[in-house]
Amino acid sequence: MKFTSHFRGLKGLSLLLTLSMLLAACGAPASTPAADSGATGDTTAAAGGESSGEFDWGMCQGESLNLLLNQHPYQQALVSELPAFEELTGMTVSYDVFPEQNYFDKVTIDLQAGNSGTYDAFMTGAYMIWQYAPAGWMEPLEGYISDPAKTNPDYNFEDILPDLRNSEMWNLEPGMQNLGQGSQYALPWGWEANAYMYRKDIFDANSLTPPTSLDELVEVSKQLKEINPDMAGIVVRGSLNWATIHPGFMTMYASNGCVDYDENMVPQMNSACAVEVTEKWIDMVRSAGPEAWTTYTWYQAGSDFGAGKAASMFDADILGYFQNQPDTAAAEVLGNVAWAPGPLGPDGELKTNIWIWSLAMNAGSQKKDCTWLFMQWATGEEFLTKGAVEYSMVNPVRQAIWENEDFQAKMAEQTDYLETFNTISSNNMQIQFTPQPLFFETTTEWAQALQDIYAGQDAQERLDKLVDSLTEQLQDAGITQ
Amino acid sequence: METNSINKRLAGLLSDGFLAVYFLFALFPILWMVLVSLKSGEELFTTQFIFHPTLENYRAIFFGDTRVGAGVVAKQEFPQYFLNSLIASTGAVILSLLVGVPAAYALARFNFKGKEDLAFTFLSFRFAPEMVVIIPLSVIYRQLGLYDTYFGIIWVYQLVTLPLLIWVLRSYFEDISPDIEQAAMIDGYPWWRIFWNILLPLVRPGLAAAALLAFVFAWNNFIFPLVLGGSHVQTVTVASLGYISSAQGFFNRMAAASVISSIPQIVLALSIQRYLIRGLSFGAVKG
Repeated sequence: MKFTSHFRGLKGLSLLLTLSMLLAACGAPASTPAADSGATGDTTAAAGGESSGEFDWGMCQGESLNLLLNQHPYQQALVSELPAFEELTGMTVSYDVFPEQNYFDKVTIDLQAGNSGTYDAFMTGAYMIWQYAPAGWMEPLEGYISDPAKTNPDYNFEDILPDLRNSEMWNLEPGMQNLGQGSQYALPWGWEANAYMYRKDIFDANSLTPPTSLDELVEVSKQLKEINPDMAGIVVRGSLNWATIHPGFMTMYASNGCVDYDENMVPQMNSACAVEVTEKWIDMVRSAGPEAWTTYTWYQAGSDFGAGKAASMFDADILGYFQNQPDTAAAEVLGNVAWAPGPLGPDGELKTNIWIWSLAMNAGSQKKDCTWLFMQWATGEEFLTKGAVEYSMVNPVRQAIWENEDFQAKMAEQTDYLETFNTISSNNMQIQFTPQPLFFETTTEWAQALQDIYAGQDAQERLDKLVDSLTEQLQDAGITQ
Repeated sequence: METNSINKRLAGLLSDGFLAVYFLFALFPILWMVLVSLKSGEELFTTQFIFHPTLENYRAIFFGDTRVGAGVVAKQEFPQYFLNSLIASTGAVILSLLVGVPAAYALARFNFKGKEDLAFTFLSFRFAPEMVVIIPLSVIYRQLGLYDTYFGIIWVYQLVTLPLLIWVLRSYFEDISPDIEQAAMIDGYPWWRIFWNILLPLVRPGLAAAALLAFVFAWNNFIFPLVLGGSHVQTVTVASLGYISSAQGFFNRMAAASVISSIPQIVLALSIQRYLIRGLSFGAVKG
């Protein structure tokens, strides 16, 4: 009897614990409401107070903000200077920093939480607008910029380079003609122009000059490989990722007059122009690129160039800058990096593709006016000048900083860096991709096509297949008929 | 007779040689990690075994980087990330032990309605991809205020640690004859003393093995702390990626952080080694 009753007690307790854990572990997800994707926060009510008609940095005194930041030199400059903002406004700012490899996973998941999202503002790229803005996750900013009660009279939004500003305006309609229209979804914060970087010592020793056309680019890369068989003649990205397309490849693609989609959003990656550029690019990579090209990301490309394993690189200009630093560059590389705008198209055109690190406001934020205070401070001339001169916030987004003598003196140490910027910015410098919500999926598939052609598939056939697939996807998504 | 002994010795030498080669093969990734952690930035990308070893990377991850200049990632929070991992993983294992051991016992010993369904539900936590549940979980966590808290991370780790513990221990409890418990009852032991003094010592090898594996899985988890944690509870798995920034890949510091991060697992594994081998093989051929 005693055994039975004890046994029963034990049984009861064990069952209770089992049940409680079951409820604890799976009860929560089972009762989860679906993630709210239609973040529609209050756009006017700032927790910090009403607009009084006159701008006041102290309007949100005592409030706190939460930022989501990517591990980046820009973020480091910001974090170091945040106390100045807190002193100016009387606000407190906390932030979470995540490594870039998984940063956008984190952003996407947090934005999906809508009004219960944790972060008021976040770092983003311009391409992400095409994914986040249609979902209603990004707060349009033009209303804040034009409101004198909310924006510091010295802000001078127009000083931000127009090509950058316009690249972050969109009317949510797919199509190149729609970029630069509609709402301002983010503020440019720092940016990268895709340029040609080369080892000046090797070029000088072999009487080479930076290539001025795609054919020359291929030829010079092959020559560099012949001169130093242990080095890659050129290093560019090649991994299975949308980011493989956007640096050097897209710049050459656009400069040569090719487009990704026509005005009716019909994919054009199999046009005669596109096939020719692709074939030449792959020929260059195959004969002069790194051995494991299909695994190459920003990191591998930059590391190889900085370690002296590549004689040239066609990627973001700031990647060369970061690699040309003490403790980063190999001894033979340091001080020997030079910049050039990149080869021109057959018509002498230079259409540089750009990447823009930006600040955006979470549409689900409950403190939008206060968040705007932070955003205008972080993109204001004072902080950005400090960031560019004292930290590593290159490239600056404001014209005034490019003209700043201290900044010019700092960058003069980088051979032809400023001249390259001047050439690029006086040509057609913008996002050369067509804005559309499936950008990441479709561009990653484009990268897959490049890899397949690299592996030996016929360029025309593979690109035809790519276009068929993209056409179907765009139709399924209702982007085209 | 002599030939036999030579053959035996030869076979022994061959088997020792094979084991030595396998040992090197198995440990090479760890050796490589240690070597990279001792390399300076200048020698990082060489593949030679001869280089100028430096402890600079260890100094940098613990005390920060005093250099200024382009792209230098100051990283002095590593001890905090390490502590976060330790708190989250240890807490998760303790919680799993507290609830998992009785649960395993109940599933092994008692017959009740829906028993197998319940057991299967626990198991299903392991084969449901984390990405499937992560978005609803993140919404709930934010609404409940569990985001970026130790408790939140410990709780969500139960999805990783609890099924493992329950299923490993269940087979151990099933191997113990109920007669032992009944004999103890007859001797006048209360149920909790039977559980504590008789059953638990009998399943100790399994307990050690399951707890260690649960700890390792919790320690290595990446997606939960990434999505459900912020800077306050960031674990080493997430933070280690921060050594690769846009400006530069500090693979040597990442290696140093990985070396330090693997110490708790290695120490734990060595300290319960005698249970571990028995625990992992015990019950493996159970019918």
